[in-house]
Amino acid sequence: MSIRFDLLALFLVNGLIVGILYGLVAMSFVLIYKASRVVNFAQGELLLVGAWVCWASVTKLGMPFPLAFLATLIFTGVLGLLIQLVTLRPLIGEPLISMIMVTVGLSVFLQAVLKWIFGVAPQSFPTVLTAKQVNFLGLDVEVAYLGSAGFALVLLAGFAFFFKYSKLGLGMRATAFNQQVASSLGVSVRQVFAVSWAISAVVSAMAGIVIGMVNGVSAGLAAFGIKVFPAVILGGLDSILGAVVGGIIVGLLENVAEFLDGQVLHWGNLYTIVPFYVLVIILMIKPYGLFGTRDIERL
Amino acid sequence: MKTKVAVFGAVAALVIANGPSLADDIFMGILDDTTGATAQLGVEFAAAKGDAIDWINAHGGIAGKKIARDAVDYGYKAPQAITTYKRWMSGATKPVIIYGYGTADTEALSGFVNDDKIPFLSHSFSAKLTDPTGKSGNVPKPTPYNFFHGPSYSDGCRAVVTWASEDWKKKGGAGKAKFVFMGDNHPFPNSPKEACLQAASELGFEVLPQIQYSLRPGDFKAQCLTLRESGAHYAFLANTGDGNVALLKSCATVDVKTRFLTNIWGFSEIVMNAVGEAANGVVIPLHVKPWGTDVPGMKTVSEIAKGQPRSTYYIAAVCTVFYAKEAMEWADKNGGISPENIRKGMTQKKDWVPVGLEGMCAPATWTAEDHRSVTNIEVVEGRIKDGKPGWNSLATVDVGRDAKWWGK
Amino acid sequence: MASFSQRPCGDYRVTYAADTTIFPTRASAYACIAGVVVLACAPFVLSSYVLSLLIYIGIYGIAALGLNLLTGCTGQISLGHAAFFGFGAFASAFLNNKLGVPVLLAMPLGALLATLVGLIVGIPAARIRGLYLAIATLASQYILEDFFARAEWFTGGAAGAFAKPPVLFGLTISGERAYFYLVLVCLIAVYLYAANLLRTRDGRAFIAIRDHYLSAEVMGINLTRYRILAFAVSTFYAGLAGALLAHYSSFVSSESINILLSVQFFAMIIIGGMGSVMGSLMGAAFMVLMPEGLETLVLMLKTTSWGNVPQIMNGVAFAKEAAIGLMIVLFLIFEPEGLVHRWRLIKSYWKLYPFAH
Repeated sequence: MSIRFDLLALFLVNGLIVGILYGLVAMSFVLIYKASRVVNFAQGELLLVGAWVCWASVTKLGMPFPLAFLATLIFTGVLGLLIQLVTLRPLIGEPLISMIMVTVGLSVFLQAVLKWIFGVAPQSFPTVLTAKQVNFLGLDVEVAYLGSAGFALVLLAGFAFFFKYSKLGLGMRATAFNQQVASSLGVSVRQVFAVSWAISAVVSAMAGIVIGMVNGVSAGLAAFGIKVFPAVILGGLDSILGAVVGGIIVGLLENVAEFLDGQVLHWGNLYTIVPFYVLVIILMIKPYGLFGTRDIERL
Repeated sequence: MKTKVAVFGAVAALVIANGPSLADDIFMGILDDTTGATAQLGVEFAAAKGDAIDWINAHGGIAGKKIARDAVDYGYKAPQAITTYKRWMSGATKPVIIYGYGTADTEALSGFVNDDKIPFLSHSFSAKLTDPTGKSGNVPKPTPYNFFHGPSYSDGCRAVVTWASEDWKKKGGAGKAKFVFMGDNHPFPNSPKEACLQAASELGFEVLPQIQYSLRPGDFKAQCLTLRESGAHYAFLANTGDGNVALLKSCATVDVKTRFLTNIWGFSEIVMNAVGEAANGVVIPLHVKPWGTDVPGMKTVSEIAKGQPRSTYYIAAVCTVFYAKEAMEWADKNGGISPENIRKGMTQKKDWVPVGLEGMCAPATWTAEDHRSVTNIEVVEGRIKDGKPGWNSLATVDVGRDAKWWGK
Repeated sequence: MASFSQRPCGDYRVTYAADTTIFPTRASAYACIAGVVVLACAPFVLSSYVLSLLIYIGIYGIAALGLNLLTGCTGQISLGHAAFFGFGAFASAFLNNKLGVPVLLAMPLGALLATLVGLIVGIPAARIRGLYLAIATLASQYILEDFFARAEWFTGGAAGAFAKPPVLFGLTISGERAYFYLVLVCLIAVYLYAANLLRTRDGRAFIAIRDHYLSAEVMGINLTRYRILAFAVSTFYAGLAGALLAHYSSFVSSESINILLSVQFFAMIIIGGMGSVMGSLMGAAFMVLMPEGLETLVLMLKTTSWGNVPQIMNGVAFAKEAAIGLMIVLFLIFEPEGLVHRWRLIKSYWKLYPFAH
């Protein structure tokens, strides 16, 4: 049985590109977790907000695309601030389950509100980029995806610098480690929360715009948010590098699974289900992921 | 605190006092999904149902009586459909006919409506609803009270696959054409799968392994790569419009050369607008004529829609409302408007096109033994003309009433 | 110490038996029995619509109690509850249709099969905690959903499975009146069992694990054993509830077994009160009655002239969707201990009226 390596290479390239996109979403998820230990189940909806707001700015308000892009980022940054102000501040100190459920409730709520405001029909972005697709390592890839990949790498470098050397970044890591000690040392916990949510919302919005440009904007876009979990578990919940690596691995896994499925196994469902099986296996073997910090238990 | 108790008590009291009380009106229960998983279609259906009933009421109603409707959005959640149904059935006036929606509510309620004997119209075209007496031997339960206007999902697939085999011969294709069935692993997309695959292999296609893609939009380049490498000439898309939009776009990017065939709810002007050029040539079985067709019935549709161009989904719902209207008119002349008489009224005519909609709706025939309403199916393709969605008629396929296919 | 007061002013209980009663005072026991008697008479008075609502409340109440035992009492977050609910439904229909087991036997057997699946998920889950467990159960929900869609021999695939109504001594239990009694009996049995469980050693072990698992382990509680036990009980309840629903609506389909149902169960226990037996029922009642209440509101709005505007009508339709999410968020912010806490406050207010302090 011969394995078609040229085809596999195409799948791997696709996995890499889409995986970087997953990595972007995972990065924003990890940002929030790293700073405030909150698990954001509403990450997919933040993606969707970015996509819809940008689409509306371009089509309904007639803004040129770069302006609409910036406007969307500002809007979602403010939205992130508002969300954490309204829902997370009152829950500081509450047990983990309350935090999780608040974001779950938020995601259901946001879905419905977005459907109300923007309608239920799928819409497509008007053409904003001159070249639709480009041949990258043998595969036709949309320019938007390549742009997002480049952007993700820039962001990765930026965040690495931010968390290691800047005052605010160090403050965020301190807050994630121990809120009380950090605030007693003068770190403003409120500011840390606010900034982390705002940045996370902005990064998600960017990912959402890219996905929306390529695949069309519709209510189901939020399903991308579910891919976050395998990615962050693989990479480690509090590591930004891990998030991106995890996202790439998930993208590669999916595509390899689809390759095997299409060429050899013909089961049909491997693409959707493999990330979850791998998630469960990783949780059994190495729950903290590749780059996560081990939780040392204290009595 | 006390106000909270008062409000809760008031709401609870109102919940118990249920159903609109009507004098001489005809009560039709309507289920919609304008906010849930299939809202893309549901919004069009809901608008059509409302507009069509308003038009009927404004033009004399049913022999002078108006249709009073209770349209409930059940969000594609079966338990809500069931509680809404129970609310209707325990109200002061029971519905004489129910216009349901799709797979979720139709399946959930099929047991109840067949026990309570209320005619149930739907946009679920599952072949399991086509056997009122169980004669076919292929359905789990006979459903004498379920009606739908259009070809069943299985018949629709058979029609487009038949067209594809003719198309392959016309193009002079050498050897066997390759066919692949694509859809999510869910009740709705799986509905025509068995029939599709058998029809394809009987017509001489080489049937490739199924490719699965989600009902929800996502990035489907991986599936498109598989499709491209498989060399399939024709692919049947079994999902609804949402997933198909993403798939058509992804496949256009990787330059897939396959000709796409879809089910009735997988493609429409809405999808064409969202996808653009990649939607050209997608083949679909259509049991109504699209907006703007030059037939006498277009005038009525235009009045109902108040001049605004509408999708094929809208027109499909208008046709169904008018079938219900004529069944009720027959019932009125033959013993009064009751659920049983309406059911008989639905089975009175052969090749039935409602008055006022000539040319717009495919002629339908329901009998007491066979609820396959449309078997002479028109196959059309979508074409973008001057930037606007348009349609080209390709062929008319008669799938016949073969007993071995009935109910599958 | 008056025996008919709501709760004794001081705590005069001097025996362990008195300390671990299910009902704190005789009055509350009588109130509960009276409530059951009233419910038993209900089918003769209420319409089938209200009865169907009560049946749904009962069924969801059983499932919510299972989740409450797992999450509220043992602290293990499970986002995959709907999958076990669905499994119980399919298993019961399968046992009855394909293997000919009578329905009243198929239901608990189906629940046992759901428990077996729950153990397959729960045994590895005993090793992970907190957030990781939540994510693992989320993954198991998707995996089981995929299984339901693929396993046509088990679930009937695209067409779903038809479930027959139960037969007891020759009488078919179908229709709201008869089925209401079946659900009521199951509900009482299940709730009494859970209330009893929580006052035994095992129940106290659950709560110890939830509060501080390290200390519990130090005190000699076998964490793995009790976590697995919690999973087993909770999935049994979920499976039983699923089986009851299957034979009530005589149809099971994998369409409705999705992540939103899991979220709804979670919402029930949060709104009702985590860790509280009565809270599960209150939460289930809230979740079932809320969409109906909103629907009635829509009906009322339709009759007014200012309300019957497309924008408001549209908005209200989405409000039903948004309501679940909004309720979760609002309850967590303003009433984190749930309706049960509010109920206790009401009771103590009336007990001390007019001298609230």
